[in-house]
Amino acid sequence: MSDLGKRTLEILKRFLSVLRSQPAIGVGLTVVLAMLLAGFFLPLPYSPTRPDPLNVLQPPSSLHWFGTDSDGFDVFSRTIAAAARDLPLALIGTFLSALVGVPLGLLASTKGPWSERIMRGLDVFQSFPLVILAIAIVTLMGNRLENVVIAILIVNVPRFMRLVRSEALSLRESRFIEAARAVGATPIRVMRKHMFPNVVGVALAQTSIAAAQAIGIIAALSFLGVGVSPPNPSWGLMIQTGVRSITTGDWWVVVFPGLAVLIAVAAFNLVADGLQMRQENER
Amino acid sequence: MGLMRLIGKRLLLIPISLFILVSLSFLLLELMPGNPAITIAGDFASDAEIEKIEESLGLNDPLGARYLSYLGSVVRGDLGRSFFSDQPVLGELRERLPATMELVFLSLIVAAIVGLFLGVLGAYYRGRKVDKATRGTVTLFQSIPDFLMALLLIFFLFYLWSVAPAPVGRLGFSGVSVEPITGFLLVDTLVAGDLNAFVLAGQHLLLPVLALGIVYAAYFGKTARSTMATALDSTQVEFARACGLSEWKVVYYAFLQARTPILTYGAILFGALIGGAAIIETIFSWPGAGSWALTAILSLDIPVIQGFILAAGFVTITVFLLLDVLILLLDPRVRL
Repeated sequence: MSDLGKRTLEILKRFLSVLRSQPAIGVGLTVVLAMLLAGFFLPLPYSPTRPDPLNVLQPPSSLHWFGTDSDGFDVFSRTIAAAARDLPLALIGTFLSALVGVPLGLLASTKGPWSERIMRGLDVFQSFPLVILAIAIVTLMGNRLENVVIAILIVNVPRFMRLVRSEALSLRESRFIEAARAVGATPIRVMRKHMFPNVVGVALAQTSIAAAQAIGIIAALSFLGVGVSPPNPSWGLMIQTGVRSITTGDWWVVVFPGLAVLIAVAAFNLVADGLQMRQENER
Repeated sequence: MGLMRLIGKRLLLIPISLFILVSLSFLLLELMPGNPAITIAGDFASDAEIEKIEESLGLNDPLGARYLSYLGSVVRGDLGRSFFSDQPVLGELRERLPATMELVFLSLIVAAIVGLFLGVLGAYYRGRKVDKATRGTVTLFQSIPDFLMALLLIFFLFYLWSVAPAPVGRLGFSGVSVEPITGFLLVDTLVAGDLNAFVLAGQHLLLPVLALGIVYAAYFGKTARSTMATALDSTQVEFARACGLSEWKVVYYAFLQARTPILTYGAILFGALIGGAAIIETIFSWPGAGSWALTAILSLDIPVIQGFILAAGFVTITVFLLLDVLILLLDPRVRL
């Protein structure tokens, strides 16, 4: 077997053992995957983008499983279809954040006045409320999907940096880093070969937390009409449509997309919890 | 003695932080694309009209000159006027910030009570059924977006059970008016001796405070569980048990150890909530600073956005100063 094959097999085995010790991770991942697959491939009973003006605000029935909203959109079709848009957006945003934030955090863990100054700068930045920041970024940069990803990136990169940096700072004091340095490893090699593998765990847990938050942020953005282009379905936008109806008792317009957000966020939180528990147990 | 010096040092940092904050908010908004003149003039305005508006807003002056004039007016306490309503930003902040602070303050108290209860319970019964139940509850709270929680509360408590009034502002359409003293309605009505208005204000606070309180209880719950779990494992607690203290006393001593990180978390949440409550304010037509800033952002009303950033930053800095002092008083180890 090739070297690469052996390594993938090893990673797979490790993954399975993690799943066995923390079943919550498996449950969370399965739910997210199921939602994604449903969003992309599930045949929908009605068009998610074409309303039926003759059937507005119908309660859930055998015809419209989740009812219809005040414009005559089928809530079931839209709730499912929105998963194909909201979930990938959140996932792309968080993975890019990790990709940028983890190396930057490792770099910022080098001793020196600059790394301290950069972190103080991030403090100021981070004290700003997340959702407002994201809204400001997308509004000011233009109401486009790419800008939603950029907003998630700007919100999350400092978090990854801070987390990885604090882990790396305590790692730097340990024996094996000292040993690696003593035998003449370059700083870059120390980071790549010795520090990176030791921060992967916390970074993964943070990725999951960030994904959960990203879903919330995207929902909040589209709730305010930022970053969406109606009639394309998005959970936040659907909940917004339901605000008018809920004070008169038409609950289904809000509840079903709301449940979808809740399930997606909870799934990512489950994965994060499982990963964190594993970290705790390993220590 | 050391205490006063530390506080003095922190106080000196405030003007510096504020200067950085002013400069950053000015620069960030300058560098962002988007032309407020076009937004004000509307989509069908001619180029000449847009140019006239740009001129009147001073958008054509060089960047350095605008920065200096902005700094000068901020120092004089003039935060400019809204592009759209032409109201002075400072005056509106004075009206709206207390409404937000009242909401945030009460929400944090609810969040702390619910969160600490769940967290301490979970830490005490670690690994057992109670722990699983409280962890599940915390994860559930954490997974509900605050605006969804607000809408669900409106549906159940207002529409179905009529426990709470309709989500329309701080006093609804009651026609009751309260002389602003502190801006905190619950305080002002009590000072005025108007019990009717006090109850009315309380009723209108109920739903938004519950929505924010329950969602943010998750954060307190998580921190409390992990810090309490560590504290309950410590040798001090073991010693307290060995001395034969009652379990209540033991948990109390463990809590004394765990309270610093929990307080810190509360301060962070306070800063985050000043803007973070914006969507809740919008849903409840709450005349607060968050919803005001939100509208300003969506319409590129730059003086208002800058004013909000400054106010939120100022409140955050003050809260962190208070936190530092509080921690110094509570935990003498920090002073060493």
